[in-house]
Amino acid sequence: MISIRDNIIGGALTETTFLVLLAVYKPNHGYGILQFIKRETNGRVILGAGTLYGAINTLLKKEWIAPLNDESDSKKKEYIITDAGKEKAENELKRLGDVWRLAAAIMEGSKGE
Amino acid sequence: MRKTVFKYFFDFFDGQRIWLNSMAKRGYRLQKCWNMAYTFEECRPDEYEYAVEYVGAQSYSRAKDYRGYLEGMGFRTFTKNINLNISLGKVRWRPYAKGMGQIAASPGGFNKELLILEKKKDGEPFELHTDLKDKINTYKTIRCTYTWAVLLLLCMIVMTFIPGFSSVPEHVLWVLRIIIAIIALLFLIPTVKYFTLAGQLKKESRTFE
Repeated sequence: MISIRDNIIGGALTETTFLVLLAVYKPNHGYGILQFIKRETNGRVILGAGTLYGAINTLLKKEWIAPLNDESDSKKKEYIITDAGKEKAENELKRLGDVWRLAAAIMEGSKGE
Repeated sequence: MRKTVFKYFFDFFDGQRIWLNSMAKRGYRLQKCWNMAYTFEECRPDEYEYAVEYVGAQSYSRAKDYRGYLEGMGFRTFTKNINLNISLGKVRWRPYAKGMGQIAASPGGFNKELLILEKKKDGEPFELHTDLKDKINTYKTIRCTYTWAVLLLLCMIVMTFIPGFSSVPEHVLWVLRIIIAIIALLFLIPTVKYFTLAGQLKKESRTFE
């Protein structure tokens, strides 16, 4: 079950954060991340370039992702998820699974009434 | 054919973006901009789209990195000034900025407070910030800049009331005060606008991400 405490401390990831983490399971650069998210969500999520820039910098600071090469030119910088990042993504998958099961049980149940 | 237009925006963010897009719609593509001047070249109507990004509250190195990143995304970029600074010789203080962004030097981040971005129209919205939280932050940074501008202008008016402030006759001082008050009022309009926008989004963010 998801407790409120978890929500504050462990935290639900924002969708932007989660999708960016998924996009760098294989090395990817900024433009590639945008394309990945657009393609894999069938266009439901189209990230703005400014939002992605903020997300990348936050994730780098948290060390959930790491730059792949020492390229100082940010045009070509590639990123890869770290072990810490993978752990966060796995927790989020579990949390989403819990939410999904809870919602399915309640909503399916109410249909039968 | 080239065309140069002189314009000043009290609403440097939305106002400038809307105007640049209306020029593009009429077939004018931005070539160069400096101070209050914009040079355009003729192009096919509706071929390009513009977005404005405010980087005046960031440090120069961060703003430069951001510009490089956006160019890597395939946008054409221009830097532009906003003229809302206090000048002390060659170094400027930007009270609204964060950390090292507060000090702007020339050459450096001074007069490059805005990034104008251009892309070919491809049917997708030209939005740089798509996250609610991110949008709120953008509006907050802009509203902070305007609030400082209004406060500093009000300070200037108060200063003119200090006895012995200047040898200028009283009626001239009143003209000065009225002019400053009008400018402050013109900056107050966008201040209120961005306060409202940030507030509306904040309400949304309680339910949506």
